[in-house]
Amino acid sequence: MRKVNVIGVGMVPFQKPGASEDYPEMGEKAIRAALADAGIDFGEVQQAYAGYVYGDSTCGQRVVYSVGKTGIPVFNVNNNCSTGSTALMLARQAVAGGIAECVIAIGFEKMEKGALSAKWDDRANPLEHHAGVMQDVQGFTAAPPAAQMFGGAGREYRWKHGTKRETFAKISEKARKHAAKNPYALFKEELDVEAILASPEVFDPLTRYQCCPPTCGAAAAILCSDEFAKKHGIGDPVWIAGQAMTTDTPASFGKSMIQMVGFDMTKDAARQVYEQAGIGPDEVDVVELHDCFTANELLTYEGLGLCPEGGAEKFIWDGDNTFGGKYVTNPSGGLLSKGHPLGATGLAQCTELVWQLRGQGEQRQVEGAKVALQHNLGLGGACVVTMYRRG
Amino acid sequence: MSELRFDGRVVIITGAGNGLGKSHALAFGARGAKVVVNDLGGDIHGGGASARAADLVVEEIRAAGGEAVANYDSVTDGAKIVQSAIDAFGKVDVVVNNAGILRDVSFHKMTRDDWDKVYEVHVRGAFEVTHAAWDVMREQGYGRVIFTTSAAGIYGNFGQGNYAMAKLGLVGLSNTLAIEGRKRGVHANAIGPIAGSRMTETVLPPELLAALKPEYVTPLVLWLCHEECQETGGLFEVGGGFMGKLRWERALGKTWRLGRGISAEDVKSQWGAIAGFEKAEHPENIAQSMQPIMGNVERGPSKGGNEFIDLDEALGYRFEPAHSRYDERDLALYALGVGAAKDPTGDELKLVYEMSGDGFVALPTYGVIPAVNWMLDMGKRGVTAPGIKYGLDRVLHGEQYTELKRPLPPKAKLRHEARIKDIFDKGKGALVVTEVKSYDEDDELLIVNEITTFVRGAGGWGGDRGPSADVNVPPERAPDFVVQEKTDANQALLYRLSGDWNPLHADPRFAKAMSFDRPILHGLCSFGFAARHVLSKCTKDGDPRYFKNIRVRFAKSVFPGDTLVTEIWKESDTRVVFQVKVAERDEVVISNAAIELYEQIPVKKPKAKAAAPEAATAKAAGPTSADVFRGIGLWMAEKAGEAKVGKVFQFKLSDPESVWTLDCASDAPSVSEGESTKPDCILELTDANFVAMTKGEKDPQKMYFGGELKISGDIMASQKLGFLKKVEARHVEAAMKASGGGESAAKAAPAAKKAPTEARAPKLFEALAGKAPKGSGKIQIRVTDPDGAWLVDLDAGAVKPGTYEGASTVITLSDVDLAAVASGEASAADLYQRGKLRVDGEVGPARDLAWLRV
Repeated sequence: MRKVNVIGVGMVPFQKPGASEDYPEMGEKAIRAALADAGIDFGEVQQAYAGYVYGDSTCGQRVVYSVGKTGIPVFNVNNNCSTGSTALMLARQAVAGGIAECVIAIGFEKMEKGALSAKWDDRANPLEHHAGVMQDVQGFTAAPPAAQMFGGAGREYRWKHGTKRETFAKISEKARKHAAKNPYALFKEELDVEAILASPEVFDPLTRYQCCPPTCGAAAAILCSDEFAKKHGIGDPVWIAGQAMTTDTPASFGKSMIQMVGFDMTKDAARQVYEQAGIGPDEVDVVELHDCFTANELLTYEGLGLCPEGGAEKFIWDGDNTFGGKYVTNPSGGLLSKGHPLGATGLAQCTELVWQLRGQGEQRQVEGAKVALQHNLGLGGACVVTMYRRG
Repeated sequence: MSELRFDGRVVIITGAGNGLGKSHALAFGARGAKVVVNDLGGDIHGGGASARAADLVVEEIRAAGGEAVANYDSVTDGAKIVQSAIDAFGKVDVVVNNAGILRDVSFHKMTRDDWDKVYEVHVRGAFEVTHAAWDVMREQGYGRVIFTTSAAGIYGNFGQGNYAMAKLGLVGLSNTLAIEGRKRGVHANAIGPIAGSRMTETVLPPELLAALKPEYVTPLVLWLCHEECQETGGLFEVGGGFMGKLRWERALGKTWRLGRGISAEDVKSQWGAIAGFEKAEHPENIAQSMQPIMGNVERGPSKGGNEFIDLDEALGYRFEPAHSRYDERDLALYALGVGAAKDPTGDELKLVYEMSGDGFVALPTYGVIPAVNWMLDMGKRGVTAPGIKYGLDRVLHGEQYTELKRPLPPKAKLRHEARIKDIFDKGKGALVVTEVKSYDEDDELLIVNEITTFVRGAGGWGGDRGPSADVNVPPERAPDFVVQEKTDANQALLYRLSGDWNPLHADPRFAKAMSFDRPILHGLCSFGFAARHVLSKCTKDGDPRYFKNIRVRFAKSVFPGDTLVTEIWKESDTRVVFQVKVAERDEVVISNAAIELYEQIPVKKPKAKAAAPEAATAKAAGPTSADVFRGIGLWMAEKAGEAKVGKVFQFKLSDPESVWTLDCASDAPSVSEGESTKPDCILELTDANFVAMTKGEKDPQKMYFGGELKISGDIMASQKLGFLKKVEARHVEAAMKASGGGESAAKAAPAAKKAPTEARAPKLFEALAGKAPKGSGKIQIRVTDPDGAWLVDLDAGAVKPGTYEGASTVITLSDVDLAAVASGEASAADLYQRGKLRVDGEVGPARDLAWLRV
């Protein structure tokens, strides 16, 4: 397997539904930004992996064509909330396997207002087995299904470990603080724990400001081999030190909400990545992780091994998830504050981490970041964990 | 009972010297009346005059303490009699016309004098006296007049022709004065006494005379003349201890339609009806007497007819209601009979398979079967409408119209109301249109059929020829669709199992006798085939439920095994013209045919249930669940796009029980009462909770957690019910108005409040206080339903009611759940995960609630 470099990243500022451009425009801008970042022409790109969840077939071509109709293979990728990093993984595999020298992964999403819900009523819901677990464990309510699922996992964790409600809110407070310094983020207004807890309860312990918003946006990453980078005079690029995708195992369909929302997927993917990279969590400097809800960020600290199981509350109150602490998680603001355009999220995480490793994080730069970890999770399910290094 | 008195009343009694008159006079006098005792003193034949008789009666009255004067004038000088009353007492209140004479003689010996004398005393005498008093009584606004008539007049009596004439003349006068005097408070009645008097001594045996004392008659006169009695215009027979009123009875008789000649032979043939009293009525006045005639005039002139059909009798005749039922098996058998589901895996499986995944659907043309079977049953039992006198051998099914008000339910009990709607004279033959309306269990019209039969050789009475223009003529252009389908050789044998037993379709010998080579296929079988063809091509998704109606003419016979070719012209989204040919002979067998379609599949209006008492109270106080559901239906009709979320929801309500289906999968989302064949999602809750939920008073989430709402099936689908929030109050109000509900809210008693169950928490904490629970932390417990608060200080082992600052943990849960945790029936962890137990602050202390177990 060849080493794979990330030589160009780019994204558009995320917007709320209705305020954005259409997906071809957003996608085109992200691609052009990534091309400019890499300093190559689109003609050099040999394959394109296009991720999106909502849209008819071949939206990927529609986006890619707006940059260049070079006749290259375009793969349309759909893997729920982990769509972006799934495209990234396919792109990496193409380069790592020697299939291509330079490929692009582009993710975009134009979302509707309101909570996520099933789009197709005339066929089996892919999440029905997951929903069945929830039905057994806690029943089903009128709240948004994803909030019930992750919120339920939060309840389970809270009961098990006696976590305060404020602890969950504190994650959101941190996300807002980080996002305030990210021009690409959707919510730049800071909020304190009190305000977050005072927002309407969506599903105890989650309040509205602990749920990521529906978002429109696009992000892209250009991956290449060492040979390609050398040929184009790209020195010291960010490279992918490890990457793994996991899907559900029978453990997801037991009696635990924490398991159902993919805790084991996270844990297993992270373990694989640490093994591939030969680097453990202690050496990670900066993390972009899947904080679709505060509860999931909390769980993911433990899933990624950033803190021991049951130690998340202390981890949070000790400030080990932000500047000055052990790690900086979601310096971009994360899904909670930067926004969560499903197809774009994985590549926006990648973009943020590449910037961080290059020292281009500006006001939110994590000083001396050398190792970055990315976690992108989709219910249904798929979890992609990626480690980036520079140097 | 108080005595009926006549104090202050002035009474004139003619012929009061003897017999009935004397009896009346004494009685009136005894009861306080001022009596004018008139008697000419003549003999019973009208000869002679003496004051003696009247004076004796006056004396007797006075002797008894009464007031009376005598008058000796002839009744023919009636004005004088009345004047003497005025002179003596100042007025007249009562006139009893009693004076009379007899000139009994058989008619052939009767002289003019016999006739005139009797007339003069009885009729003219009564006229003179009554006429003189009439103005006085009219003026004063009060009067009572009695005419004395006789059975001889009412029934006739040998030798009393003159007397009978006179007596019945008085009845006529009495009847008329009753009418004329009614508005002035003046009453007139006639009595027909049988009493022993001077007049009857001559004809009755002594033992009978003893029984016929005048005293048996007088009480009736007293009552009729009393101010309390409102009887007027009456005729009474009285005597010998008997009293009874008479009235006229008339046979219902026979009415011939106007414009139709009535012959003496007609009268003879109808004599039973004219002269029999089996059916009779009792006209009480001229208006009622005129009714049969006025009714006949209103019906208008005769429509004619002939020996086969009497239009006057038959047209418009309504048959006795009949009943039938069908179920899925009948629908499936019919569908198979008209060729459905030849491809047993195809779209038509739903027409024959009651457990079809798409939901069982009735082939709409089954709607003709209940009506035709009714008609065949009538034929079998020999029941025909009056005026229909032809045999079934003359009858051909000429045309058929069948309309469905909504798709046929999978099973139904039907009531059929049939009438002869039209009869047309086609010259050689006649067309008879029988309309059959079929109503469902809720008395809602479901099916309308018009069966047009052609009656060979029964026309020619010169009547209305009916509509002649063909309305459903195929357009010039080539058909939009052509469907060709071969019938099976045994098609008729299969089809007849749906009810048409006519041997013409099964028995080769019978068919031969009817001049057919072999049994022919039922016209309605081809009709069913054709409808299938049209519906499959011209409705949305081939869904037969869009069917509205079909009209066809049966042009030629079809034999089983023939290939039917249905040529279809879709003229609009709602109208399709078609015709059917037989391929083998290139003959048109069904012509002038069309099917109309509904734009949206119609839905049965939910019926208003007979509600339980509580529900009735609830209804008065606000919308019922039925109102809400109907309101949702109204909203859906407006916002089909928003309601179409692709799922079928079934609500099972309890207390009182009802089941409603929200079909949000079809293009025309709808609400219907009853179960759906294939709901995606079933929601179970009480009626009251449903209403409260739709009002926003109850949170579905909380109800779900609290076990008050059960969801089964596709639980994700329940997320799609968010649109229910968009149903506006006006929709529900409109539904309430339509159902007549909610109007009497003001009058209704306030809804009975549920007796609150006794709270468990106070006792529990009282018991706990005595036990000094130990542990760590200060737990504030907030209890809901009913509300309460306690602080459990585990560090100090103290329990106290109320809310306190400084609790490290706040637990909120319902009284019921608290008790369940305390008893070990529920786990706090499970309640917490389900959102029924809320923890603020430190979670740890909430995890171990073992101390709650007392």
